[in-house]
Amino acid sequence: MTTTAYTGRATNWTMVAVSGLLLVPLIGLASSDVDRAFVLVVGLALLGVLAEVVTASDVRVACGTQGVSVHWGALGWPRASYPLDQIEDVSVVHVPWWAVSFGFWWTPWRTVCTVRSGPALRLRLRNGRRVTITVPDPAAAATALRSVS
Amino acid sequence: MFWAIDHTSPQRLQDQVAASVVRGLRTGELSVGEQLPPAAELAGALSVDRNTVLAAYRQLRDAGILEFRRGRGARIATDAEAGPGDLTPVRDAVRATVDLARRYGLDPSDVITLVKELS
Repeated sequence: MTTTAYTGRATNWTMVAVSGLLLVPLIGLASSDVDRAFVLVVGLALLGVLAEVVTASDVRVACGTQGVSVHWGALGWPRASYPLDQIEDVSVVHVPWWAVSFGFWWTPWRTVCTVRSGPALRLRLRNGRRVTITVPDPAAAATALRSVS
Repeated sequence: MFWAIDHTSPQRLQDQVAASVVRGLRTGELSVGEQLPPAAELAGALSVDRNTVLAAYRQLRDAGILEFRRGRGARIATDAEAGPGDLTPVRDAVRATVDLARRYGLDPSDVITLVKELS
């Protein structure tokens, strides 16, 4: 009996850097204000960048006999797991640039964690929820899942 | 990276995991400095014991293919060598073996079976 699995990690440090740079004008605006406001804005900006690095810089996926486990960010948190018996269907979808979530995105019907445009793995769960995740090779991930399900 | 483990093979599971990493390195699925999945995560995906994956990782570390960093897991070592990059000698030997097998009335799938039996 052969067991197949797929593991992969997708990162987009460029977007983290770009979003960090976007905070520079904000800090510049705050610097013209009183010192206390400046410190507050810089503190919040740094907190935002730190939160992004920790939670949204990359996504790590393992697909296999246990289903799909997803770990976000540098610390592997937040995390989610989708057991095989909850997965109705697996497919590879193309994520256009305007639909990239650049991190963890949750709505009552969808969970999205895409860090770049292009092919991504999509799970359709038995409860109707759709989960879209960026993985380096979504076709291999789908193959691994289909072979164990 | 795509992993495949044959639970019925006489080859030890830890050797199969280690061989998968070496194959990944040779095929370019893994690159120098790349982090491998945590042992528990990979063990869950492959339905093997966590200690099996840890043993495979240690085996690869001893071979100089992996390096462990505190808090950062196992990574492909910066000076990792996955063996000779040119597979031409192996390919020539396999071709010769397949030719020989045909002369004895065997087809390539029989050769694969024989290789599995002997390895």
